[in-house]
Amino acid sequence: MADLLTVTGVIKHYGGIIALSDANLCARAGEVHALLGENGAGKSTLIQILSGAVRADGGAITLEGADYHPRNPVAAQRSGVSAVFQELSLIPDLTVEQNIWFRREPLSVFGTVRSGELRKATTNLLEEFGFPGLRPSQEVRRLTLAERQIVEVAKALARDPKVLILDEATSALAAKETEWLLGLARRFAKAGRLVIYISHRLAEVRQIADRVTVLRNGATVAAYETKAVDDETIITDMLGRRMDRLFPERHATAGNRVALQVRGLTVGHRLVGVDFDLKEGEVLGVGGLQGHGQWELFQSLYGIGSCKGAIELLGRPVAITSPRKALAGQNGMALVPEDRRNHGLLLTKSVRENLTLSVVSRFTRFGLTDAKRERALVDEMITSLKIKVGSPEQIAGTLSGGNQQKVIFGKMLLTDARVLLLYDPTRGIDVGTKGEIFQLMRDLAAKGYAILFYSSDPPELVHVADRILVLRNGRRAAILEGDDRTEREILRAAMIETQGAA
Amino acid sequence: MTTAAENAQVAKSPSNGGGELKNWLLDRAPFLVACVMLCALVAVYGVLRDGVFSLAELNIDTAAALTLLLAATGQTIVLLRGGIDLSIGGVISLGTVLAATQMGDNPWSATFWVLLVLAAGALVGFVNGVLITVLKLQPFLVTLATWSILSGAALIVLPTDGGALPTAWMAFGNATWLGLSSSVWLLAGLICFWLWFRRSRLGVAIRATGSNERSAFLSGVSPLWINVATYGLSGLFAALAALYLTTQTGAGSPTIGKDYILPSVTAAVIGGLSLFGGRGGLIGTTIGAFILTIIGNLVFVLRVSSYWQPIVSGVILLIAVLASSTAEKSARNSLT
Repeated sequence: MADLLTVTGVIKHYGGIIALSDANLCARAGEVHALLGENGAGKSTLIQILSGAVRADGGAITLEGADYHPRNPVAAQRSGVSAVFQELSLIPDLTVEQNIWFRREPLSVFGTVRSGELRKATTNLLEEFGFPGLRPSQEVRRLTLAERQIVEVAKALARDPKVLILDEATSALAAKETEWLLGLARRFAKAGRLVIYISHRLAEVRQIADRVTVLRNGATVAAYETKAVDDETIITDMLGRRMDRLFPERHATAGNRVALQVRGLTVGHRLVGVDFDLKEGEVLGVGGLQGHGQWELFQSLYGIGSCKGAIELLGRPVAITSPRKALAGQNGMALVPEDRRNHGLLLTKSVRENLTLSVVSRFTRFGLTDAKRERALVDEMITSLKIKVGSPEQIAGTLSGGNQQKVIFGKMLLTDARVLLLYDPTRGIDVGTKGEIFQLMRDLAAKGYAILFYSSDPPELVHVADRILVLRNGRRAAILEGDDRTEREILRAAMIETQGAA
Repeated sequence: MTTAAENAQVAKSPSNGGGELKNWLLDRAPFLVACVMLCALVAVYGVLRDGVFSLAELNIDTAAALTLLLAATGQTIVLLRGGIDLSIGGVISLGTVLAATQMGDNPWSATFWVLLVLAAGALVGFVNGVLITVLKLQPFLVTLATWSILSGAALIVLPTDGGALPTAWMAFGNATWLGLSSSVWLLAGLICFWLWFRRSRLGVAIRATGSNERSAFLSGVSPLWINVATYGLSGLFAALAALYLTTQTGAGSPTIGKDYILPSVTAAVIGGLSLFGGRGGLIGTTIGAFILTIIGNLVFVLRVSSYWQPIVSGVILLIAVLASSTAEKSARNSLT
């Protein structure tokens, strides 16, 4: 069959930075085509070009044999290319159905939106693709990240596209919804259309993709039939060197002193009577199905919102009522939040300003900041964390996801916090940087930091954490140690005896 | 295995569901609080004075509120877009002096100048929209500048309060039909306009842009079009406010516009509109405008100094803002 979409030698510069030097892609109708590469390899740029968000500087793209150079996202959608971006494009104050049909609402003769028809079209769409648990009348700002992601998919499908681009679309989804989306992608391809699928999860790619194209440093380096290639080869192509290990070696570094003791922590009915101890030098994993109290645990420890229960930091009872209090003093707690683009970083500020935001007082004399001392601290952090920046003045928003995450780590380490709360720190980060972040976590533990670590990807807990606390319905379901730390045990604790716990 | 997963899904849903009614109430809390405040004020007013619950009183109060409400209609649209329009002050001043000096007693010239004032108002809005979009300037500063320019122009046309309006024009302002004054019918028309507008594609797009500008633009909303339409409508309604005002005062005033700039924002916010854009509507703003008017009446009936009016308005505004922020907070807590 002829190729539905071809990309030949596409080039894109941003100022002096080359995002794409030689991108190539051939994709047929009727297939799921995975696009793989580390963050910064150029995947995002390529799909932004395909979806009309940015324009290529050179090279040729054809869609159904004709030249294809969309001027904006709307033009791309008219040509039949719809993208579901990681960075969501929904409008919080509109309802699910208004979002799905935004700018394409069915109109009456008076030019008003026909709500009955809107509802019918939405219901049909949701039914046709078996969307899990969405109410058309719900306002989007009341939805969780996962639900928003699902609405985003619905919005793309509502345009009845020939080419559906899914960019990390499963990163916010729990196992069941992921399963649903993968099924949907397969079904969509089977109907003779094309799915371009971007994911960092190789297992998913194996499960659904017919072919894979690998990008590295802005150029296409390989393309395979998925069946004919092994993971090792793909990872090698992505990294350009052999990947020894994703996960670092784990030495037991836990000390005897309890850094964080939590008793009876309760947040409404979303987190109920949770007890645990976290020792110095220990990485305590937090697992369970998504939305079973993990975020409530982290945010109450960091002083966001109200909670009940007793918290002791290094043997001293504390009442943490605000992030400022959590960070305060010699032995505070610091948080890496889930939504780093909105909550962890000031994207329009420089790397330097971001790093030192929480610790301005450390280099302030008589109310004035000492630029030299600040610069020294910043340089030290950039070097020790291997943050890839042109200069400390580079704007944080222009960094790749992995490097943004490192800046947040740096910001956290500059405070005097001894307890680090890491909430899904590797979400949407490429394999290479993931490895570095795990290594960093183990190094920090070896230095005596106590780390509480939630991950939506169970293998990360299994291979990085010393112990794993599994939550189910906001309660402690199990603490797994030693040989019990397996994906199977996590899943078992997270899912079984649900009736009893509920 | 599947059932276990499903059970787990179901198990977490009670925390999400069930709160449907609560969410509905929380979303409308600022608006409901405004309704309660209006009822309370009307009740107090009714106790203090006879004949409050009559058509005559409705006609009087609507006439008193309508200029502000027309100005606030434009402001509501701009605030929903996430902007602000100070230039309405200039449009109102210039509109009244043009009407009072140019209309004459000839119906043709009167009609011509009415249309011209409306067109001028819309044009000012267009210019605001273009400047804000093309030069990427702050709405506050752009409209501050156009306000200043128009105020000066109004003073050139008519340096002091004065001028005259055609008698037929004044008669229209005081006409009644079925016991209801022209002001009440205009109010009804305004509400009809809103019921149409909020469901029109433009209305949805304006609200969406105020809610999340980037997402709206990514979805194909044109920034220039949305700003020109938003500020154009605001200018048009300011011109309407000016024309209506002349039917009540029978004169032009080059400085009267400034009295409507901030009160138009106040009325909208009291009515539950979010200054961050995206949420609120004209029904709330109408309630807000009437609250401000009734406060004026109360001050009059109680025979206290008129300086009490802004003080009470300020307190009411604080209550309104408190209501919306409390609702916002509990909405956020119930979410994550």
